Amino acid sequence: MFIGHFTEEPWQKEDWPLEWGSGVMQVSNSEYDPRLAAHLYNRYLDEKVYAEEVGFDGIMLNEHHSAPFCLNSVANVQAAILARITTKAKILLLGNILPIHDDPLWLAEQLAMIDVISKGRLIPGVVRGGGSESIAHNTPPHFNRERFEEAHDFLIKTWTTPGPFRWEGKHYQYRYVNPWAVPYQKPHPPMWVPGTASKETVEWAAQHRYPYIMLATQIELTQQMYKVYYDTAREEGYEAGPQHLGFMFFFHVEETEEKAMEYGRTLTMGVRSPFDPGVERPRPWIMSPPGISSKSARALQRQMLAVDSTGHTHAGARASFEDQVATNGMIVGTPDSVIPKIRYILETLRPGTILFRTGDGAMTHETQMRTLKLMGAEVLPRIREIAKELDLPGPYEVDPTTNEAYAAVAS
Amino acid sequence: MFIGHFTEEPWQVENWPEEWGPGIIKVSNSEYDPRLAHDLYNRYIDEKIYAEEMGFDGLMLNEHHSAPFCLNGVANVQAAILARVTKKAKILLLGNILPIHDDPLWLAEQLAMIDVISNGRLIPGIVRGAGSESIAHNAPPHYNRERFEEAHDFLIKTWTTPGPFRWEGKHYQYRYVNPWAVPMQKPHPPMWVPGTASKETVEWAARHRYPYIMLSTQEEITKQMYQVYYDTAKEEGYEAGPQNLGYMFFLHVEETTEKAMEVGRTLTQGVRSPFDPGVSKPIPWILSPPGMNSKGAKAMQRQMLAFDSTGRSRAGALASFEDQVATNGMVVGTPESCIAQIRRIMETLRPGIIIFRTGDGAMKHEDQMRTLKLMGEEVMPAMRDIAKELDLPGPYDVEPAAAAAV
Amino acid sequence: MTTTPAAFTEETLQIADVSLQMRRGGAGEPLLILHGELGVPGWLKAYELLAEKYTVYVPSLPGFGESSVPDWLMSVRDLSAWTNWFIREYGISSPLNVIGFSLGGWLATEIATVNSALFKKMVLVGAGGIKPAQGEIWDYFMNSSREAFEQSFLGRDSEEYLKYYGRDWSPEEGDQIETNREGAIRLLWRPYMHSVTLPGLLPAIATPTLLVWGREDAVVPISSCELYQNGIAGAQAKIIEDCGHMPEMEKPEEFAKAVLDFLGS
Repeated sequence: MFIGHFTEEPWQKEDWPLEWGSGVMQVSNSEYDPRLAAHLYNRYLDEKVYAEEVGFDGIMLNEHHSAPFCLNSVANVQAAILARITTKAKILLLGNILPIHDDPLWLAEQLAMIDVISKGRLIPGVVRGGGSESIAHNTPPHFNRERFEEAHDFLIKTWTTPGPFRWEGKHYQYRYVNPWAVPYQKPHPPMWVPGTASKETVEWAAQHRYPYIMLATQIELTQQMYKVYYDTAREEGYEAGPQHLGFMFFFHVEETEEKAMEYGRTLTMGVRSPFDPGVERPRPWIMSPPGISSKSARALQRQMLAVDSTGHTHAGARASFEDQVATNGMIVGTPDSVIPKIRYILETLRPGTILFRTGDGAMTHETQMRTLKLMGAEVLPRIREIAKELDLPGPYEVDPTTNEAYAAVAS
Repeated sequence: MFIGHFTEEPWQVENWPEEWGPGIIKVSNSEYDPRLAHDLYNRYIDEKIYAEEMGFDGLMLNEHHSAPFCLNGVANVQAAILARVTKKAKILLLGNILPIHDDPLWLAEQLAMIDVISNGRLIPGIVRGAGSESIAHNAPPHYNRERFEEAHDFLIKTWTTPGPFRWEGKHYQYRYVNPWAVPMQKPHPPMWVPGTASKETVEWAARHRYPYIMLSTQEEITKQMYQVYYDTAKEEGYEAGPQNLGYMFFLHVEETTEKAMEVGRTLTQGVRSPFDPGVSKPIPWILSPPGMNSKGAKAMQRQMLAFDSTGRSRAGALASFEDQVATNGMVVGTPESCIAQIRRIMETLRPGIIIFRTGDGAMKHEDQMRTLKLMGEEVMPAMRDIAKELDLPGPYDVEPAAAAAV
Repeated sequence: MTTTPAAFTEETLQIADVSLQMRRGGAGEPLLILHGELGVPGWLKAYELLAEKYTVYVPSLPGFGESSVPDWLMSVRDLSAWTNWFIREYGISSPLNVIGFSLGGWLATEIATVNSALFKKMVLVGAGGIKPAQGEIWDYFMNSSREAFEQSFLGRDSEEYLKYYGRDWSPEEGDQIETNREGAIRLLWRPYMHSVTLPGLLPAIATPTLLVWGREDAVVPISSCELYQNGIAGAQAKIIEDCGHMPEMEKPEEFAKAVLDFLGS
């Protein structure tokens, strides 16, 4: 079992007007107060350092552009810092938005340096990004998938082929690829892929035997996506297992139920991601311009919304805090009450990777530190026992590329 | 007086074949050993942290691509780390190579985050880069200066104009510029510009009132370049002063002259920059493809080499360690002897910024730490007194952008 | 500039936003030469042979030789529009015959995709523009100019190689070579000497086309020749044995005969 920590790193401000929502492609950066930002960046870094200390296996970072709900515009900046100030945890990027890069050699160089400085702790996951990222960096949405695949192939080749070589691709061209920095991990750092509703992305991940992390907190939809992974794996001639699959959910734990509900609620307050339950999605022509999503992905997106608006389940896109807690979209409670809920998820989905989304929304630093402490002391050890009992190896116990157990971890 | 620390962060292996030279656009990265790189990166970061502790005002970083003589392929990665692990020193980037960026919004976002995380300690200097950088990132050399200027203008506009705005330029286009990260320093972080032999760059820096840092260790050429700055400043209607001008040179200090000569020599050994004295320059069509340099800059480059080959000065491009020490191209000695030589440089050139290039070449970590300690305890305090006596304010003593009108 | 006793005139024209260096010789139907990325070293023997039957026009393309280059000219497609402009303004009657060498072959092809009727017949010689299926187009800009000349010839004892390239250059010649290199960089830097979209447009060409390739072309692999031939309906190919990238200089008689046969047929 691989257990990760994630915070979206939202802007935090009490007088944020409700109608600004997540602020993505909507709020002027004249609202960005660098003094507050300095405080928040360093606060979030402090929390990550502490998460490592209490026993998380990985510290996850993501990035969004022109997006107040996610302060990490360039995740590699924080990844660089973590490479130096942490010592043990994996640095999990989910991930770099490949298609919005016009020159992925920068990524190859940055990520190699970060992997080397961290002594091989980087997981440089890759994503396609929402439409707002393509707008911010003004990259062609209609070539999103092509650029994703070409940039990925370029990264892997750069990391595994002794330079110099030439690359004359459709979207990227280089006459001399030979960066004086290649990753610490051989043949290359493990690639992970997160997703929500794109079947094509799941298939692509399965074809590459890259662990796929489901970010949507709807169990049924996750099962559908995992099924796509299992099926694709079979077509590719291997059996997918827990080491290939991950699940992320909101989490808050306190000593008492009352306190858990009181503070857990702050996860659904403040400046929140437009991709989260209970948050209005901004204009679709921004978030999903033509060319970004396939027809089937768009149908699934409608399904995610429909589950909610038709009332079949409360776990959908517009659910309230109480709804989400009731349906396990958010797991909030005491150590004793959250464990059975996590066990249910582990039994139902059988993921080898779980990522706790915590300290998000309007949660204060003190609250996040308190819940991290409880997680380290009472929750994480018990999850590891359940994972053993249920035989849920993570991608550092069973190699997803070969399905063979790692000797070092097994001992 | 602003005193900075700089190491090129070279690759260090004992068995580096001499014919590989700086390794730039030449040596396969199959020679790159990530285990050694891990040790070196962290060693160089340790040294920077110690340099801050010893009292340096700024920690300078640079970057080169496909270049074993400079491990810092992406200077912003180390700048990010320094933003968090140092507390006081300026983080001086000299600098980001603007023309090789196809999408300078990444720079605007990265540098804003670094400035904010460091609490406003970033100096995001900018350079045009040599041809090898354009080759590595496959950026068009013939548009090098145009892209430099447009990317600069875009950065400044992004940092000073409330978003969103549109940018429809010749080389860069954006439909929605509104990054959720802008620098802490207002109106924008101070821009510095380093250079060696391009008159156009000096003029450009002077017109923008950006401090210009001369990287070449030849006093005569430095004086010529400073004169270009003074003259351009006058044309622009202001008087340039020490706060506008910087100078970088090699320095190694030890308790005794013998030890200084013995250990200082390692600065000229190992994997060295092709731009340094005593190093032969690799293939010119790589370092300087057509379109990169003006005819004036090319003539100046020839002059820099000529200094050396005609014997008029021994401080030039192919000088030996002894030559460089003899001509102050490298200042090597005891605290007393170094201070005397530094005073002469300060009197002659009158810079407000001095950057010590140290711990470079094949120098060992222990040697760098020892010389940093001596610099902190003896050299820098003396220099600050001299700077006061000679009235040499740095850009944090006198605001370069607000220099007195003529 | 090297001079030859052959009959040609040289003039500077102010035309189509360019101060243009133009060489011209012979008499008869017009035949336009679009030179390669190394520029035009002089009035070549091949031009002279062609000038026996045709009026041969050899402009130095913008940014090459003594021709100026406008700021707006940033790509081979821009250059193709410029070439069309120049032909009309100079008053060469169309349809006209054209030969494009290397870069010039790519240029002629671009023009033909837009207006196949402009050219009566088209000859592409070691043409760039199409990424080869096997091998890669040799990268001029990673090598010195001298290496580029060496790379372009199989026979480095051939008369014109020795005459123009295989010797010491005067400082003026060295400067001219640098200028041409800058002109080439402007057009060919990225993607290197090819277009990602051109292959899809080859079937649009209705111009009778001859492809001439040196069997041992070490600059643009012969694989590109096959792609051109597959893409352009009815295109013929003439492969010249024991010859490199520049058959017009390495084997001028054989080259001129192939071209004259094709144009006269």
